[in-house]
Amino acid sequence: MIRTQRAFFITVRICILMFYLLMVLLPFYWLFITSVKPRMDILTTNIQYWPKNFTLDNYRVLWSSSNFDVFLKNSILVSLGTGVFTTCFAILGGYALARYTFKLKTMAVYGLLLTQMIPGVLVMIPTAILFSKVGLMNSLGGLIIIYIVGNIPFCLILMRSFFDRIPVDLEEAALIDGCSKLGALFRIVLPIMLPGIVATFVFAFIGAWNELLCAIMFISSDELKTIPVGLSMFVQNYDVNWGVMTAGAVMALLPSLIMFAIVQRFVVEGLSDGAVKG
Amino acid sequence: MKRIKSKEPYYMLAPSFLLLCIFLLYPLLSSFLYAFQSYKLTAPNAIGFNGINNFKAVFQDSNFGLILKNSFIWVVLTVGGQFILGFILALALRRPFPGRNFYQAIVFLPWAISSFVVGLTFRWLLNAEYGPVNDLLLRLGIIKDKIYFLSDPELALYTVIVTMTWYGIPFFAIMLLAAMQSIPEDLYEAADIDGAGIWSKFWHITFSYIKQTIILTLLLRTIWVFASADLIYIMTAGGPANSSSILSSYMFMKAYSSLDYGQASAIGLFFMALLILFCYLFMKATKFEKAGNF
Repeated sequence: MIRTQRAFFITVRICILMFYLLMVLLPFYWLFITSVKPRMDILTTNIQYWPKNFTLDNYRVLWSSSNFDVFLKNSILVSLGTGVFTTCFAILGGYALARYTFKLKTMAVYGLLLTQMIPGVLVMIPTAILFSKVGLMNSLGGLIIIYIVGNIPFCLILMRSFFDRIPVDLEEAALIDGCSKLGALFRIVLPIMLPGIVATFVFAFIGAWNELLCAIMFISSDELKTIPVGLSMFVQNYDVNWGVMTAGAVMALLPSLIMFAIVQRFVVEGLSDGAVKG
Repeated sequence: MKRIKSKEPYYMLAPSFLLLCIFLLYPLLSSFLYAFQSYKLTAPNAIGFNGINNFKAVFQDSNFGLILKNSFIWVVLTVGGQFILGFILALALRRPFPGRNFYQAIVFLPWAISSFVVGLTFRWLLNAEYGPVNDLLLRLGIIKDKIYFLSDPELALYTVIVTMTWYGIPFFAIMLLAAMQSIPEDLYEAADIDGAGIWSKFWHITFSYIKQTIILTLLLRTIWVFASADLIYIMTAGGPANSSSILSSYMFMKAYSSLDYGQASAIGLFFMALLILFCYLFMKATKFEKAGNF
């Protein structure tokens, strides 16, 4: 009885796992095979579930006829900027929250958690007005600021939880050995924290890489557009060139895919840690 | 390490909080003012206070009732679907199996992908002429006529809801899985000795142990889903005829397409009031203060 029950549950579990796997993979499969089909094979009611005439033309067209190289450069610039600044600020702030006791600490933590409840759409319009007053509208710098602000509360909390896991004794030992506080931070703590730092960076990078609405709202000139904005203009038309668009989408998802695959475990750990324990 | 009197932590937090004050707190507060102003980018010379005209215009908009109804359907179905499917996935992932890490990296992938890519992919999957979903359904004889998933006003909202659900499953699964993995194994062993069944173990141990995480995640996700407009923008732009508009996407379109920042801010204030009301009711209903163990 117990054995059959066990076998039953194992079967159910395998079925469930397969279901989720297919549910995630099939849309990406369809996206990818469309990007390597010639136009004639895409716009046909006789749908090919396996590309008969493999071609890279869509990628070539994407590269040569749209501003894709410009979009790519902007996306990399904005995401790198967001990632680097957010991580630096988060290291500093996270260290302060993890290692110091000070008057306004509880307030600071609550303030950060509270910002998690403010939807970005609400802040977008007044920020646009502020930006146009100080000349940050339609600039990559302005976009980076928006993304830092959007990512910093979570990254700071995340970083703090990574610091919390490192025993204080390590630093104390370094201090006794004559290391300065900053020296202890840089020489002892940060090297151990590398996975956490990378996870924070990737979190902010991916956030900036994927963001759509702010980038639409704040950027108007073509030479400053990021990939999602640049490509979304082509999707709004009724006559979508699906081959080129899917090629663009594949290019857009590659970086986040690679980064996520590498640091998935740390991001997942940190994400739950940072959000659950605050 | 006691460094109570030191000013260092304030310096270390300063860059973050300075940015948050200037680019989050200040805009948020100033939006209270803009909501009572005529603020159209198309008429930059006519900017000035106009009382409650913006609110009047918003509430008298004939689409407003529909948009509120849509927002409600959107939030309830999306969050509900994400939660149930995320919970099942977390349960299936709880115990280790060969290749679990690799499997996780794949099924959590949607979390790391931009709404633009997700929206584009599903639009193309569900395309009425050349999309595989219609093709397969027709071939299997499940439907007789093509389904116009995104251009049928009856269906458009639900199509985006399904996409949004797909997009958000990983987030729930990640949060719930982490909480489940913190359940001490001896609880289950003790229950086994007492002869507890599968369902009783699920209800009394798994579920009750992670209840606080469930509540917190539901709260954060509801706010997030309520406010997210990007998938709607990419897939339907709120159409056809506002049939898939929700409050946040409507607000974005008001600001972005009609450039009417005043009215958009008025919608924003209304939005904020709804959120605060929701948070208050949610915390009362779930006795959330017990969870505040920061």
